This record gives sequence, C-alpha cells and structure tokens, in this order.
Amino acid sequence: MILAAAMNPEALSGVEDTLVRMRRGDPDALSVVISRYQHRLYRYLLRLVREPATADDLFQQTWLRVMERIGRYDARRNFESWLFSVAHNLAVDFWRGKRGDSLDAAADAHHHDHQNDTPGERLPAAGPDALEQLLDFERGAMLAACINELPAIHREVLTLRFEEDMKLEEIAEVAGIPLSTVKSRLRRALEALRAALEARFPRKGGA
Amino acid sequence: MSEHESMREFLALAAAGALDGEQQRRLDEHSRECPICRHELEIWSAYSQGLRRLPQPPVPGQLTERTRARILQERAVAADRRWNDLMLGALALFAWTVGLSFWFLLRIFTGGDLVIMGANLVRLGTWSAFSTVLVWVTAAAAALALGKRRRDLRRAI
Repeated sequence: MILAAAMNPEALSGVEDTLVRMRRGDPDALSVVISRYQHRLYRYLLRLVREPATADDLFQQTWLRVMERIGRYDARRNFESWLFSVAHNLAVDFWRGKRGDSLDAAADAHHHDHQNDTPGERLPAAGPDALEQLLDFERGAMLAACINELPAIHREVLTLRFEEDMKLEEIAEVAGIPLSTVKSRLRRALEALRAALEARFPRKGGA
Repeated sequence: MSEHESMREFLALAAAGALDGEQQRRLDEHSRECPICRHELEIWSAYSQGLRRLPQPPVPGQLTERTRARILQERAVAADRRWNDLMLGALALFAWTVGLSFWFLLRIFTGGDLVIMGANLVRLGTWSAFSTVLVWVTAAAAALALGKRRRDLRRAI
C-alpha cells in the first residue's frame, strides 16, 4: 500500500505539498510526514541497532535533523532516500560513539573471516531440511532471529532491499556506497543469512 | 572458473532482483540446463519471499506525538536562544548609545573638565575605557543570568 501510494503521482504531489508546508514550519505537516514514515523508519532503525529504546531515540533524532536541514533539502532528490540517509548517518554516529567503531568495520572483521573461501565454500550446500524448516511454521521469526546475528551493514542492505523495497541505486544513496558495493554486500548478506539459518537449524542426519 | 561456478555467484543476487539484464539472461539460460542451480534458485527464492514477510516490529506508543513534541520543544528552545542573543545585542547597543549620549551631555554641562581621582572622565579615552568596562561587566552578568535560566528550563523539560 505504501509502495502504491509512492507510485501514485497524486500521492507524490501530496508529499511535495506536505514537504513545502513542513519547510514553512507547519506543525501539522510535520505530523503528517512523521506518521507517513513512522513504521518504515522505525523498522529500519530497529533492524540496524536492534535495541527498541535506541531505535526510538534515533527515530526522534532523525526527525530533528530533518527539520534542521529541510531548508537545504533538494526537492529533486527522492525524499525517502534522503530521510533514510539521515537516519543511516545518525546510526553510524551512534555506533561510533558506542563502540568507537563503524558499521563497516564491524562487518569487515566478519568478511575477512570468509574472504579466502571460494564461492562454492561460502555458499552452504543445498539443504532441503533447512528449506523445509524455512517454509514451516515460525519461518519469519526464525529468519528474523538469524538476521539479528548478522553484522549491521548486512542487516541494513537486507531490510532496505526486501522490506523497504528500495532500488539498488537508492540503497547506494542511503548507505553512501557505490552500486557495486551494494551488490557485493547484498550477496554476502544473503549468503551469511543462509549460513546462519543452516547453522541454527542443521540438516537432519548430520553433514 | 566454469560457467556453473560463475553462475553460482549470481544465484543470491538473482533472488534479490539485483542482476542486470545480461546476467539474468545468462543465468536463465544456464538454470534451464542445470538442475542444481535451478534447485538453488528455488531455495534463494524462498529466502527472498521470507525476507519480504518478516514479522513487523510494533511501533512504540505515541512515537509520532513524542517526536513532534520534542521537535517543537527544541524549536522553542532555539527561538528562546535567538531571542536572548538578540536582546543581549540590543542591550549592548543601547548601553553604548546611552554612554555616548551621557558623555556628550556631560561634556556640555562641565565644559570638558570633570576630574575624579586624578582622571578627567570627560576625556574621550577615559570615558570610553570606563564605559567599555561597565558594558562588559553588565553583559557578563546578563549572560550568566540567561545561562542559568536556560539550564533551569532544560532541567524542567
């Protein structure tokens, strides 16, 4: 429904109109825009930082930052990408403050562990048992639990691609990385997710 | 790297809809002939579907209202700060104007000679130094008072 609204030109002009009102400081327009994006933005932040209280705070900080910078926002840019990139930058700042580290560094360590593997080794063997379990009950919860084990940059590309349904170019804009990096990160994230799922729910009857 | 191996690189990306036209065409062609890759594609497709249907986290209560309130609060604090800065500037200007006017009047009434403790206060240099000290002391006192008020306001919020 959100996607349908986003594709609808009338809805788009409604968004632009609301943004213009928001830029003028209209508090009602602000409420409309926050309500419109609250589910998606909160979900993105929660997937990224995993802690509801932190996601809540970053959500509020994102809108504060948006209001500070709305005057500089280029209306030709996609508002969603801009909004999510603001949230991304705040999450990165949070991460640096918390661990003295970055999202990329957190994933690099994980990547180095696997960089010498051949593609065949990186990719788990086709396991019908894992697939059956995937398709069985609590599939979503199992997947969500495994996603939580992945590095933040992998969780980020997965949620932006599959939950936010963003194009690769939009993901690149949000995360501030080249398109080729988005692709490689997406592939590694999916492979890591599958490995995590198969590790958590190993194939029946041993290897 | 064999065609089969290179196609395995594409499988996960195919499920994510991230292949370009040429890569997708090559993979389609290969998977028609290769049951292993076809099976892998089915698995990745299941992952893709699962990822699109993850359980949705509930949004915390009144998140929009709380966010809006915080923004309005921050705006009020920023407006208050701007107002205070403006007032400080206006007060400093006012103090200089009063000082200069007073110096001018004093000069007229005393004929340019008002010696206190050996210093002629009506001389421009002495008067300027005296006024400057007075203005800075007043401004510092006002800034301290405003800062305390701001801290109290933040604590109350």
